[in-house]
Amino acid sequence: MSLLLLLLVAVILYGIRLMSSPKTAVRGNALGALAMLGAVLLTLTSEGILTYPILWAGLAVGTVLGYFAAVKVLMIQMPQMVAVFNGLGGGASALVGLILAFQGEGSSAFAAFATGLAIVVGALTFSGSAVAAGKLHGLLKQRPVELPYHSTIVGIVIALTALALIPAPSMTVGLVQLCLALVFGILLTMRVGGADMPITISLLNSLSGAAGAVAGFPLKNPLLVAVGGIVGASGLILTQIMCRAMNRSLISILTGRTTVRSRELPAVPQADKETSEAPAHQVGTTWQEALQTAERVVIIPGYGLALSQAQWKLKELIDLLEAQGRQVKIGIHPVAGRMPGHMNVLLAEADVSYDHLHELEDTNEMLPETDVAIVIGANDVVNPAAIEQPNTPIYGMPIIRADLAKHVLVLNYDTNPGYAGVPNPLYDAEHASLLLGDAKESLEAVIAWLKSREEPTVDAAASLEQEAETFRAARMLAGAQSVIIVPGYGMALASAQLQVKQIADCLQERGADVKIAIHPVAGRMPGHMNVLLAEVDIPYDLLYDLDVINDQFGSTDVALVVGANDVVNPAAQTAEGTPIYGMPVLNVHEARQVVVCNLDRSPGYAGVPNSLYDMPHCLFVPGSASQTLADILTALRQFI
Amino acid sequence: MSDFLLIVIFAAAAILGYKIISEVPSLLHTPLMSGMNALSGITVVGALAATAGAVTLGSRLLGFVAIVFATINVVGGFAVTHRMLKMFRSGGGGN
Repeated sequence: MSLLLLLLVAVILYGIRLMSSPKTAVRGNALGALAMLGAVLLTLTSEGILTYPILWAGLAVGTVLGYFAAVKVLMIQMPQMVAVFNGLGGGASALVGLILAFQGEGSSAFAAFATGLAIVVGALTFSGSAVAAGKLHGLLKQRPVELPYHSTIVGIVIALTALALIPAPSMTVGLVQLCLALVFGILLTMRVGGADMPITISLLNSLSGAAGAVAGFPLKNPLLVAVGGIVGASGLILTQIMCRAMNRSLISILTGRTTVRSRELPAVPQADKETSEAPAHQVGTTWQEALQTAERVVIIPGYGLALSQAQWKLKELIDLLEAQGRQVKIGIHPVAGRMPGHMNVLLAEADVSYDHLHELEDTNEMLPETDVAIVIGANDVVNPAAIEQPNTPIYGMPIIRADLAKHVLVLNYDTNPGYAGVPNPLYDAEHASLLLGDAKESLEAVIAWLKSREEPTVDAAASLEQEAETFRAARMLAGAQSVIIVPGYGMALASAQLQVKQIADCLQERGADVKIAIHPVAGRMPGHMNVLLAEVDIPYDLLYDLDVINDQFGSTDVALVVGANDVVNPAAQTAEGTPIYGMPVLNVHEARQVVVCNLDRSPGYAGVPNSLYDMPHCLFVPGSASQTLADILTALRQFI
Repeated sequence: MSDFLLIVIFAAAAILGYKIISEVPSLLHTPLMSGMNALSGITVVGALAATAGAVTLGSRLLGFVAIVFATINVVGGFAVTHRMLKMFRSGGGGN
């Protein structure tokens, strides 16, 4: 029994260890989930309570609700979702404590105290998380709300709560503790807002773990105690990191002393700005001029990016800049956004590779060598006042020195001070230009301008590339002795079956061996492909089922994929945990060369990116299959 | 299990966790937090035991709610973490 418990804790710790690399993190998370399932089953059996219907009912209801919430939530809503889950965990611990209090249980004074503490910490996590989620979701005002005599009231509530922890647990005592803690949680979080949320969320996360651990003491449950302790520690680490990143103490956050109230707004010392040493800035250039010649670009995103959901536009900009031969890096401030790692998640969502991302120190080293720094929806984290103006609340907070770049392009909503209420002198700097408004629209403007500058060349290059691709595809096919064509739903959508037939005929005339591989679920109904190909008179003896043909790809010169995605995705064999993992796929990637004629590179229906597209022996020809195949056919006929 | 032993377990787990978690890069902080969040739902174990041992109807109802809360926390937390982690991709891809 204790050995099993130890094993579960070890599995959980190992899972967390795997979380330290993006490559293994999915597995780590799965291990954690598995260990949790084990913990539940172990508890049910060892306590002999397997047959209590009320337990199973609770588990079932929770599973369904939790799963749907997790699947439905939009990525933008992730911070509030985390807060809600967190609050529920704390709430559960409080309720457990309450049940124990109602029973007057508590063999020792220690257990009695722990019961009360579980109620208090759990309830305060619950109400605190509820307020945090409400603020993040926009249901409550983002700015700190302060009652008259707020600190005094908090002090009284803390004192009363401490007093309530003294008497032995009973129904009344438990309820008093519950109410006091709920109020305490609200008082604590209502004063915190906006940019301080990453710290608050980390703290609440830590508290939810602590609540679980304390609940484990009266229950004498070592698993609860151990795992609660781990979670508590992790929340503390994150809280520490966030605090350090903002150069703030936890107390100053919780007492709402991080923003400037409007009446005490410091006058911007204009003189200061003039005297600050000016490096080799490109004074007086427009962003267009600066971007035109820029070789090194650093992008600094902030919460504004999340608000306007501009991460995909940003990805587009990055791709465009890189396609034009510029070096692009992204500087991430540890507290940019509303939760730890917020920007990282946002950019990952838009498929920005994490090799682009750099932490604060690295970014600051690069910035003096940077031609253009693009600030997107970030304010306080790039505000030079943190260095230059000692009388402001952000003074001393580490910032990303966007101001050191030769030119700074700021894409912010307006020039109002950021969350801390300190005006940003960067906006007035001579080497800075502003594009105000919604980040998505501003990014569109920059992208449009970049494209327009190179319109003739870009377009010609693109079509040339396209032409080259179909041409290369035709050359591959012309030289092939054996070809396997793999149709998918894209062929049906583009009605490209006729072109498939023509290419097959053309290749056969040249003496090549042509086969067509049919995946059982290619298309939208069983046998979909067979019907379409029959429609254009392709003999059915050319068609081969998956299990018959799969061994033959290895000895095939060219595999031609037409509008098929998931059914040829090698990730199904390697990417554990993805929805297609374990699904039998056509081993197209084993062919010597692969030509893929799909509309675009986006993942198929299962949502799993296709690793085939990036393989070195794969030629991806984007576009509607009928058009692409027609072009390939034209080129092919020239060869023959 | 004695109270003292429990405190030792608590301290050991917290210290061990602290060491391991410090290794997680900032890139993965959100998934880490949301994964830890899911783990905090371990309180479901306590909720199950407490509910099964509850005598009054009121306590049982509270216990039911506690189980539902904690299970949402666990299942939702792990599922959301999984969704997030799946999005992280390295260079080679994309371009």
